[in-house]
Amino acid sequence: MGKRTIIPFGPQHPVLPEPVHLDLVIEDETVIEAIPSIGFIHRGLEKLVEKKEYTEMVYVIERICGICSFGHGWGYCAAVEGAMDVEVPKRAEYLRTIWHELSRLHSHLLWLGLLADAFGFESLFMHCWRVRETILDILEKTTGGRVIFSVCKVGGVRKDIDNETLKEIVDTLKGMKKDIKALTDVFLEDKSSKNRLCGVGVLSKEDAIDLGAVGPVARGSGVVQDMRLAKGHGVYDELDFEPVIEEGGDCYARCKVRIGEVFQSIELIEKAVSKIPEGPISVEVKGNVEGEFVTRLEQPRGEAYYYAKGAGTKFLERMRVRTPTNQNIPALVKTLQGCDLADVPMLVLTIDPCISCTER
Amino acid sequence: MATFKIGKVVLKSLFKKPATLMYPVVPREWQERTRGHVGINEADCIVCGICSKKCPANAITVDRKKRTWSIQRMQCIQCNSCVEACPKTCLTMENQYTEPGPEKVVDTYEIPKQEKKAAADDKKGGALKCNLEDCVYCGLCAKNCPCDALNVDRKEKVWKVDEGTCVSCGACVEKCPKKCLSLG
Repeated sequence: MGKRTIIPFGPQHPVLPEPVHLDLVIEDETVIEAIPSIGFIHRGLEKLVEKKEYTEMVYVIERICGICSFGHGWGYCAAVEGAMDVEVPKRAEYLRTIWHELSRLHSHLLWLGLLADAFGFESLFMHCWRVRETILDILEKTTGGRVIFSVCKVGGVRKDIDNETLKEIVDTLKGMKKDIKALTDVFLEDKSSKNRLCGVGVLSKEDAIDLGAVGPVARGSGVVQDMRLAKGHGVYDELDFEPVIEEGGDCYARCKVRIGEVFQSIELIEKAVSKIPEGPISVEVKGNVEGEFVTRLEQPRGEAYYYAKGAGTKFLERMRVRTPTNQNIPALVKTLQGCDLADVPMLVLTIDPCISCTER
Repeated sequence: MATFKIGKVVLKSLFKKPATLMYPVVPREWQERTRGHVGINEADCIVCGICSKKCPANAITVDRKKRTWSIQRMQCIQCNSCVEACPKTCLTMENQYTEPGPEKVVDTYEIPKQEKKAAADDKKGGALKCNLEDCVYCGLCAKNCPCDALNVDRKEKVWKVDEGTCVSCGACVEKCPKKCLSLG
């Protein structure tokens, strides 16, 4: 038996896009225990609801994170709309769904790149990001921003997408499928990728449920948990949505779930475009928020929770966001126990940590 | 087999255009909707200050006495909130980013004085009304009116609005302590 040593991992580490710190207790090359600590980029955004009007707060909420920005804006607006009993027009719901799925596409492609980078496949990383650029171009063309969109507002959306552009988007995405398939085949079939992914960091279904894992981490362990199945979240119930589930519970399964979701998102966008109704894109919202409301939605990283409470003034009294990474950290700590030190970056990445969201 | 596969990829990559732009030699293509920077048409501005109130990043400063409109370019988050709120639609979202530079730039624009009549075009809401039963004739509305369209006399208990000059921007409605003003 070797001597126990503590290795600090992060907050600044080449593999980490954002700062999280782990104290890794290791014996020889095996991790015995991992002690996480967060709080390096807390910005106090939730407190700002007391100073910014509820209609302007959406710009702040979107800036919680650059990757899940649309979802945050949507979640906040849905919570406020719920508290004010506002019904959003159907076309706005469809547009929100399309933008949200485009965000998921760019988030998952970004993650695939980071994963490739984590196991040392630099050129694959570059290619994933090259493909992602096309999605960002679509987002910039339709919303005006590459990562911060500012199109969601209380009562609907700010900008419409005309039918011609919608068709163009579908054609572009169809054309991208071949490109994405070539990349994802490397993740799923290449020997060197499989070597690093298969059987690493297994999280059993029971553990995933007990530790409250969400999103692709839970679905990679065989847990059927996806907020897009819930009614009242976008128009997913009209798009015959079925979640992508894998049973393995290892890094390979989590990677496979996300790859499945990339293709699924393209299909969902195609279906949404074929079904989108004509009509208004927003309703006028008058008055102030009175009462409270909770809503949940499926971010690229998993279930996110939004709470809004108002007391009849133009400022909200309280706003709360619970993010998916927050829920997945216990699962990460569990999978780190007993893994090789060399696999730690891989395991940290497979929960797709978004520390900006977690700490706000 | 693997050699052929790699060979194919290498040959393809050799003759393909690079995925990245040779910026700044090749200029970036701007989309019509790109939120680059906020622009202002000074001739139409009535210095009402609504843009500054609506800015979530506190990047805009409006000085009514000096008649200046200034924006801190580094602080602006290009959210389009001011452009949407402007009652005179004199703010625009340009689709090009501002030049990068080593200093935090504050752009200040001098706002020329306007003819009172010209300010009356493009109304945002309906006509301004006052519930005279609740009014205490404090005069805050007149003080905050960007077009000097209100006249309040405390002694005589008179509240008057010049409908030709009022742009229905809502600045007085926001300031009224008794909440007796409304836009029709």
